[in-house]
Amino acid sequence: MNLGNLDSLNFFYPELILLGGMLLVVISDISLKGLRVRINPLLTLAALLLALFYTLQTDHGSAMTLFEGMLALDNFALYFKVFLLVAGILVLLGSLHSEELAAVHQGEFHALLLAVTLGMLLMANSAHLVMLYLSLELVSLTSYIMVGYLRSDRLSNEASMKYILFGAVSTGAMLYGFSLLYGMTGSLDLFAIRDALLAQEVVGFNQVTLMLVVVLTTAGFGFKTAAVPFHFWCPDVYTGAPTPVTAFLSVAPKAAGFAILVRFFLGGLSQPAGGQWGFISGIDWPLVLIAVSVMTMTLGNIAALTQNNLKRMLAYSSIAHAGYILMGAALLTGTGLKAMLVYLFVYLFMNLGAFFVVTVIFNSEKTFELQDYNGMFRRSPFLAVAMSIFLLSLIGIPPFAGFLGKLYIFGAVIDQGLYWFALVGALNAAVAAFYYMRVMKHMILENDDRPPTPLRISALNVALLVLLLVPNILLIVFWSPIDRWTANSITLFGGL
Amino acid sequence: MSVTDIVFILTAVVTVGSAVVVVVSRSLIYSVFSLLFTFFGVAILYVFLGADFLAGAQVLIYVGGILVLLLFGVMLTHRLYNLNLTTERFQPIAGTLIAAAVFASISLAAFKTKWKLVGEKELEPTTQQIGEAFLSSYLLPFEIASVLLLVALIGAAMLVRRRTDV
Repeated sequence: MNLGNLDSLNFFYPELILLGGMLLVVISDISLKGLRVRINPLLTLAALLLALFYTLQTDHGSAMTLFEGMLALDNFALYFKVFLLVAGILVLLGSLHSEELAAVHQGEFHALLLAVTLGMLLMANSAHLVMLYLSLELVSLTSYIMVGYLRSDRLSNEASMKYILFGAVSTGAMLYGFSLLYGMTGSLDLFAIRDALLAQEVVGFNQVTLMLVVVLTTAGFGFKTAAVPFHFWCPDVYTGAPTPVTAFLSVAPKAAGFAILVRFFLGGLSQPAGGQWGFISGIDWPLVLIAVSVMTMTLGNIAALTQNNLKRMLAYSSIAHAGYILMGAALLTGTGLKAMLVYLFVYLFMNLGAFFVVTVIFNSEKTFELQDYNGMFRRSPFLAVAMSIFLLSLIGIPPFAGFLGKLYIFGAVIDQGLYWFALVGALNAAVAAFYYMRVMKHMILENDDRPPTPLRISALNVALLVLLLVPNILLIVFWSPIDRWTANSITLFGGL
Repeated sequence: MSVTDIVFILTAVVTVGSAVVVVVSRSLIYSVFSLLFTFFGVAILYVFLGADFLAGAQVLIYVGGILVLLLFGVMLTHRLYNLNLTTERFQPIAGTLIAAAVFASISLAAFKTKWKLVGEKELEPTTQQIGEAFLSSYLLPFEIASVLLLVALIGAAMLVRRRTDV
């Protein structure tokens, strides 16, 4: 079913609420001088919660497109909308008591957080190349500003500059790919593109051109998901940005990037055929994704081994995780896609958790260096235990949620008979265990000579850490709702 | 060779040539001025494609707006001349190889792909069609573009705020 502009508004409440919230924050920021510090975060939180509420309420029946085919509304899009809104809420709560952001005016920060969330929701839904490009740009532009938010900090400025330069180049490459695709099919609508490709039977040199399209567009999506070889911006940007922004970037735009990647490749370049997507004859684009996945996890893990700055280490580790997540997308099966969604969901809680511990420690210690984490267990047992749980979850050790993600991903890969691919993944997980354990060793086993002064944590941050710990510990027990939810979420418009 | 072909070739040469000058010129001010010709060349290429409105917008926005801003930016920088614009790491061999590979693959794709062609079309004004598209099937992108501009405005306001004003 395709809805026109007016009818689509009924299914567009979450986005409208975010937009309205953003405008209200801007207005309150310039008009309420005394109250704005209190009101802006509340407005932002209210907008995000209300948007989440309406997203959960959405009952769209079967998959359909909105706004004359610009957006696709299906279970897959709804999964990502819920995911991105939850990520937005957690990051907002984490940014409230952050010393880095406390030093600067925060009005724009909240407006930008709403704008970037809006952009990501649109990104997860886009079914039209124009909309896809525009929402991607909205997310990128807002991220550049958020990364450079600490204006008097040299690293923050440098990070923002690097991010812009890399972003501009990869977006340019992606657009060139789109233009080639338009030239071959004469359409910008993803589903019309697929139909045109199926109708004309890609043969001869058009196969090479289509491969070129795949490589060029992967540059654009790879930039957003920080996949190798489009990851060069990632360590510097993650190190320079304010830590709450880094936490945000490592989860939300990455997930939106995966959503758009799946929608583009599975929705636009492959034909649905009962449980398994066949790719359009003549081009083997899953091979490109598998190669990118292997490179991404290997390079991310190896580079993370030698990092002594915790933010930088987590940046490389998030590159590695992008590789694991890509394993699911590269398989082209329903199980693979479902595994990817499960992995993303647990990754949200474990990675945000690790970054929030880093934020909390920076609040009182003003450092990201691993040496300064020595003796943390004696100073704040709660923080050390929380960090250990997040890191064990990131490794994929059984009682914690991360195990669930790894189980689904490796299960799906082995299901397809790609044993070597699973082996590469497992080796990588073993390498990753080393540097995660190293952080735990510094926090728990190594003590310096100084007497252990207790670390002060604000009540809000304690509550937030507990909120993040709960899913990490309990998801393994309550995995069946997740299983059902993700199994439902793999229905793509025009797909299975 | 018809007149159209000659005009096209001339335009192409000027566009590409001035773009090369933009990149290799040692002085920023030369780069900006030769960008003028690149922008004009692109506008003429739009005319060749029958996109009259786009050509007008290209001249108005790029030549009239962005280029003038760039000129201001360049003239307000401290060291206008003898500015070393090359990066610290300069890799001529790898760079040339990659550039050549990109050029080869893109030009091969341009010549050998079987494009979906619409054939010769009567020239007709496109402004009305664009306007109608913006308010019907492209309404959402049109509105989201304004959100994008708002975000850019907020970012610009944030950049120019005085540091003391917290």
